[in-house]
Amino acid sequence: MYFSGIQKLDNLLLVSVPRDLVDDEVIQLRRDVLQAIRQFKSQIVLLDFSQVDICDSFFGRFIYGTSQMTKLMGAKVIISGLQDAVIETMVELGMTLPDVDAVLDLDDALELTSRMFKRNGKLGGADADNEAMPDDDDKVLAK
Amino acid sequence: MSSSPNTLFFRIETVHDVSSARRKGLMLAMDMGFQTADATKIAVVISELGRNIVSYAGKGTITVLSQAGDNSRKYIKIIADDRGPGIKNLNQVLDGGYTTSGGMGLGVSGSRKLMDEFNIRTGEGEGTTITALKWL
Ligand SMILES: Nc1ncnc2c1ncn2[C@@H]1O[C@H](COP(=O)(O)OP(=O)(O)O)[C@@H](O)[C@H]1O
Ligand SMILES: [Mg+2]
Repeated sequence: MYFSGIQKLDNLLLVSVPRDLVDDEVIQLRRDVLQAIRQFKSQIVLLDFSQVDICDSFFGRFIYGTSQMTKLMGAKVIISGLQDAVIETMVELGMTLPDVDAVLDLDDALELTSRMFKRNGKLGGADADNEAMPDDDDKVLAK
Repeated sequence: MSSSPNTLFFRIETVHDVSSARRKGLMLAMDMGFQTADATKIAVVISELGRNIVSYAGKGTITVLSQAGDNSRKYIKIIADDRGPGIKNLNQVLDGGYTTSGGMGLGVSGSRKLMDEFNIRTGEGEGTTITALKWL
């Protein structure tokens, strides 16, 4: 079995994608992610790939599919941590991932999501309607 | 003497076989001195061709040959061999984006782009042998 490493960080779902997943584990991981989005009412899903060093076209399809499914749940996927060698290989293989937003690493991802929270109070979560976002809503993301 | 070719041989029947073959291929390439990006490409080609064996032929073999000696130019050669149905519409498959299984249709066409030399022998009912080489 795989260790999925799905973590809730306020309205974020942080998913550390393990290396060497085989197909049924990939599908299970995706189901776990979708379930966690529902359970935690997450609005942004960070898929972190920093552990992944081999990414074939099946895996690329997983990334794209997960981002589409997440969208249908009203959330958004951001991918982070793709290694240089993985990026070069994916692109030369012909895998472009349209509509999938990426950032360099986890720090950048947290910064980006913090800005998104700021722009749109709705991203504040289930009870965001009750009161306006606090001014220092950056702190929402602080650990 | 280290100038004779080394061989890794894998029986491919499941995605687990593919996973272990690509990881060992990656390690071999790194050990030989391939840069990370090139070693990654070799691993992905093993993954794509191995996955095709599992999906379309049921079973087959992958052989990874390396010429790692001091005297001659070093390379890694991947030979993916099966006795499955053979590849129909080879031209479309090589163009890329063509799939009979709902995949991305990038396995064969993309593998060709990732390697320096690429050769396919396939015939209906005769199986498929793909040979792919990357120079160090
Ligand atoms: N070893 C094989 N034996 C028979 N058919 C194959 C084999 N490899 C590939 N094919 C055929 O070529 C098509 C394209 O393969 P590929 O480029 O790997 O893309 P995908 O696997 O995503 O369809 C497959 O859909 C399949 O019809
Ligand atoms: Mg394929």
